[in-house]
Amino acid sequence: MSGRLAFLYPEIALFVATCVVMVLGLSRTLKARKASAWVAGLGLVAAGVLAMASTPRMGQASCPISGFVYHDGLTPAMGQVVLAEMVPYVKVMIAGIGLLLLLTMAGTVDREDEARIAAGQAVFDPLRSNRAEFYAFVLFSLTGLMLTASADDLIWLFLALELTSLPTYIMVAISTARNRSREAAVKYFFLGALGAAIFLYGFALMYGGTGHTNLNAIAQHFREHGVSTLSMAGVLLAVFGLCFKIAAVPMHFYTPDVYEGAAPQVSGFLAFVPKTAGFVALLLIVGAVGWEYAGHSAGVTSLFAGDGMEPVKHAAGGRQLPELLRLTLWVIAALTMTVGNVLALLQSSVKRVLAYSSIAHSGYMLVGLIAGPVGSTFTTNGVSAILFYLAAYGVMNTGAFAVLAALERGRDAEGHVGEAESFDDLRGLCASRPMLGWVLVVCSLSLLGLPPLLGFFGKLPLFSVGIAAGEIPLVIVLGLNSAIAAYYYLRLAFTPLLDAKDEGSAAIQAAPFKGRAVAAALSAAGVLVLSLAGGWLMTKAAHAGAYYPSAPVKAESAPISDEPAPLPNDVHE
Amino acid sequence: MIESFTLASDLSGYLPISLIVLMAIAFGIGNVVISQMLGPRRAGAVKGQSYESGMNAVGTARKRFNVRFYLIAMVFLVFDIEIIFLYPWATTFPNLAPQSDESLLWLLRILFFLFTTVVAYVYGFRKGVFKFD
Amino acid sequence: MIGLTSLAQAAYPEPMAGATLAHYLAVSAIMFVLGLIGFLTRRNLIIMFLCTELMFQAAGIALVAFGRYHLNFHGQTFVVFILTVAAAEAAMALALIVLLFRRKESLDARSWEDLKG
Repeated sequence: MSGRLAFLYPEIALFVATCVVMVLGLSRTLKARKASAWVAGLGLVAAGVLAMASTPRMGQASCPISGFVYHDGLTPAMGQVVLAEMVPYVKVMIAGIGLLLLLTMAGTVDREDEARIAAGQAVFDPLRSNRAEFYAFVLFSLTGLMLTASADDLIWLFLALELTSLPTYIMVAISTARNRSREAAVKYFFLGALGAAIFLYGFALMYGGTGHTNLNAIAQHFREHGVSTLSMAGVLLAVFGLCFKIAAVPMHFYTPDVYEGAAPQVSGFLAFVPKTAGFVALLLIVGAVGWEYAGHSAGVTSLFAGDGMEPVKHAAGGRQLPELLRLTLWVIAALTMTVGNVLALLQSSVKRVLAYSSIAHSGYMLVGLIAGPVGSTFTTNGVSAILFYLAAYGVMNTGAFAVLAALERGRDAEGHVGEAESFDDLRGLCASRPMLGWVLVVCSLSLLGLPPLLGFFGKLPLFSVGIAAGEIPLVIVLGLNSAIAAYYYLRLAFTPLLDAKDEGSAAIQAAPFKGRAVAAALSAAGVLVLSLAGGWLMTKAAHAGAYYPSAPVKAESAPISDEPAPLPNDVHE
Repeated sequence: MIESFTLASDLSGYLPISLIVLMAIAFGIGNVVISQMLGPRRAGAVKGQSYESGMNAVGTARKRFNVRFYLIAMVFLVFDIEIIFLYPWATTFPNLAPQSDESLLWLLRILFFLFTTVVAYVYGFRKGVFKFD
Repeated sequence: MIGLTSLAQAAYPEPMAGATLAHYLAVSAIMFVLGLIGFLTRRNLIIMFLCTELMFQAAGIALVAFGRYHLNFHGQTFVVFILTVAAAEAAMALALIVLLFRRKESLDARSWEDLKG
């Protein structure tokens, strides 16, 4: 059992940091309160380092940090195994992008109150302050996201997903002082609770169909006995419920409203954190049900190796997803891309455009989920494609939202600070604030997927795995949608280059928080660096997507015996 | 295997439980009917009060409460939920070998769990939830 | 009266032996669907929240029934955690609803339409 703990060192580090932040953020002195954000950052760095150093790898004999000896390499009792290599990759990615997001959060809450306290007009009142909660919720949500990645059990997965989502509802509510944020939070919360109830019922049916909550045991049960109707209903319900987290079609309605109502930095958080949680959970569940291209890349060659251009429907000996699940995901993917992109065309608010495009990006990534690990190289493994795209999307999208967060308008009649919202607000940005302007240009071109930039390298493997898995119609839909997306992303990229309108840009000023501009600059730098030298990340992603369909499952799973107690008058037939 | 289940067609099993339900309903309705038949009936301003022959009611029932009641309820909820997790632990712990490594591990686990509650209360204390002024 | 004496016994009561997994699943499915319909049709925030709770507890019933059917404790363990999450959600829902009520003095979801999707 202690070996299994090695999976959780990063989460424990984050949790300890959260506790400190929660208590420190309520201090009477401003210095101690300001330190809470630094503690949060420190916790994320520690979590990232621990994730790199301590997470058990498949076949490893002992934990690199604590030296606990694993009995026979990685065993199912120690964590989820079907996608074991994904765990360290995802956690390091979360820690890195979490740091960027944390920087954008500078000064989100308590701005007015702190100003009044600094001016000596008020004393610090812990009941009115939101700083401690806000940073603690950021960390709680990221902890939940990391826990999602190491989940090996439906119970664990459910708790981790809820831990990811619940703090975000409050973050939306307190992100601005306006009624819009309250409304967005309530919408988000209610649809979130609905989504949670739906995937919870799905989990219950999956347990009912297999008799296990352990994902490895479920996967083995499906391999041996096939997927029963009951289990399939459960899987489908779970997929629908998780559609809320990734903002995919049947549950996407909240996205534009919530992103518009929340402060831009919180919208950026929502675009990355719940989406990653949803995709990781989908990978785990779908990986337990299907794919299984046995023998990894047997009969499939990399598309870009030169000769292997003929599409392969089924890899040698492999099977795809069960047809019903594949069809459902197919329809969801196609609709999600199309709805997201077409509706993005009609928007005038930048935040709403980014919200609809966030829906569309989920649709792109679903292609990788449908294809699955056809082969073991970067261009033929759908899991790797998703993992790489999540990292790429996280960096570029955080950049775009950080630019919006770094800009603000003067106060309106009610004394609330306005946001840069319409395209007109962004005109002339490259001239007035060159750094932010060019960050926006780079990030939107990258989100579009323009060839030399990061987004292109993210989209490329999605196309190639789609072809490798024989999903030609879906790949065509993907291509058409990328073309539609070009329209609004080019508009977003060229607006900062245009001349400013007379009164439009004049009211726009830089927000007085360095962190947001720094986050924007770091994101753009990340996009450029990864575009030029992202090979190592692709290698990591290809490695992280390694899929172990037939990992041995041991009978023992918990210290307590699983033997049912003999009960009188058994209701069994 | 789930599909092989059928709804029980034997409805006679429901007889006792329906008898109990019927008795419960009859008891409830019977009491109302008997008090209607036997009890004296007098109407008046005093009889119509919420707490007849008790204290005089002050204000309306739709009064807004101080938000502190909500905070206290939340603080209580933490205990309330924590107890759920202590029960399974408490029933399992005696089955472990006494003074073994395993039982120590289990003890440490529950102590960590209790520690998380302490953190919640330290936070609540600093937030000022326990200040009643 | 024979049936009544057996109800009082400590052992698994005889009358309930006729209840199979399907009964429990039917109850749970009905609760889930009622919750879903209620969520989609009602516009009072508290009722909508109660409907999601109904769906949560429907899953709980299904889990306990399946746990009995498979003769292991996973289902019941799951339910304990569901109760925890449901409590957390209730705390959060009430806080959000109070926040909204203070601004608009109304619990009707339709009075909040600043954001148009």
